[in-house]
Amino acid sequence: MDIMNDNNVEYYPWGGEFTVCSPTSCVAVVLLNIDYTPSCDKVAIYGHLKTENIGVEKIVANVISNPYIRFLIICGDEIRGHKSGGSLVALNKNGIDKNNRIRDAPGAIPYIENLNREAIERFRSQIETIDLIGIKNVDKINKTIDECIEKKPSSFGKPYIAVRITPEAVASFKDKRALHSKIIIDYMGKVKKRKG
Amino acid sequence: MFSFTKEQKTLEISGVKIGGQPGMYPTVLFGGLFFKGEPDFENAKKHIQNMLSLSKKTGNPGIPDFFIRREEHLESIIDFIEENLPTGYPFSIDIIEPSLKIIALETLHKRKLLHRTIYNSIHIGVTDEEREALQKHTPEMAILVAFNPKDKSSDGKIEVLSNGANLLDKGLIDISKEVGVKKTLVDTAALAPGENSGASIAAIPVVKEEYGLPTGCAIHNVVEKSTWLNEFKTARKTVDVSSNINIPLYGGDFAIYGPIENTDLVFPVIAWQDILVSEYTENYFGVSPVDYHPRRKFF
Repeated sequence: MDIMNDNNVEYYPWGGEFTVCSPTSCVAVVLLNIDYTPSCDKVAIYGHLKTENIGVEKIVANVISNPYIRFLIICGDEIRGHKSGGSLVALNKNGIDKNNRIRDAPGAIPYIENLNREAIERFRSQIETIDLIGIKNVDKINKTIDECIEKKPSSFGKPYIAVRITPEAVASFKDKRALHSKIIIDYMGKVKKRKG
Repeated sequence: MFSFTKEQKTLEISGVKIGGQPGMYPTVLFGGLFFKGEPDFENAKKHIQNMLSLSKKTGNPGIPDFFIRREEHLESIIDFIEENLPTGYPFSIDIIEPSLKIIALETLHKRKLLHRTIYNSIHIGVTDEEREALQKHTPEMAILVAFNPKDKSSDGKIEVLSNGANLLDKGLIDISKEVGVKKTLVDTAALAPGENSGASIAAIPVVKEEYGLPTGCAIHNVVEKSTWLNEFKTARKTVDVSSNINIPLYGGDFAIYGPIENTDLVFPVIAWQDILVSEYTENYFGVSPVDYHPRRKFF
């Protein structure tokens, strides 16, 4: 999975369930409910999307790490309830609101909390989403991949390595708390709320 | 194996009790009926009967959790519940789509089943329409999922429950009170490996000491999302089932253990863990197990 580019930067740093193919292809494919394997000679990366929050974040962070990717084809039947495909399209089209909710996303919990706004704007500038949600016809999807390749878009420039926003860790071996700062657990297992 | 200083609520739905101090009540086990494609009710019936039989044998209450994906399946699933669950027996409904949740509440109201319903779930995706529907057709019990996409630690989970973490106008606990749900369980939101999955277990005693509410999670979700475990195919099921012991070990009250097909393995494993917990908590904290607790069944 560790694919290094010309600048010795690792592509796709956020990991996930995907297959890495041709690093300089301009196409990435997001699979919803569909049993389909894109041609590895033609696409840069493909994989399944499940959730409208963490799943979407991983796709965004991974595709912007490879500046050659300019098209994101989303195909297959929509994920029921989550509506992850529609939420990914909405993110590309509309961005996020002040509460980090994807604007006009159809999903149940479409919040982007681990990516900064710069990364999202990079995604919106670098990537054009191709909405094939509901389409499972392989010929149609393959044709769309070919059409994207024929456009021969240029690389977007340097890779963008998104930093995962994580809450500041507060663990310290100096304090004597067990498990969590809100509670105290004595040697017998009695739990009390920590005061102060 | 803990005892909490905060008073622990024990909630009851149709005779099934959940919550309290560790060691008092057996862990309640939710088995999922996922119905991929057209519902196979014959198979579902067989699995529910098996769950009820194991529940009787071990003492752990079993609750069928109906995962409803399509509106066209709603009526037939509710027919199935009415016809096949013992009279008055509780069940939970697990629906993702907000619009379908609303239709399900209306239907359960019309069918006079809300007093047996555990609503799975209220979370940060709750819509205004869903809140109105819950107020109008209030289920007996609801599960609050403490998922905070911004902060997956115990603190983030508490934040979602207490103030909505800036994602909602108020916390999930206040929302449930506002819509009139009197009995709430807290699901600590088990996420995929790499997403602070262990916090769903560590948060159990934190949530219980903070609110005194019955708490648990679907730790099965972590295992289900692991690709690493694909390398250990024969161990996968064992890992899946045994993960659930963390819940009673950390003082939790219920486990949403994934597919009901796992019933044969999950019930004895959890009953065994309940026995271990009870032996300790009775000896050190004086918590006596109820008469149908697994410890009373086996010894």
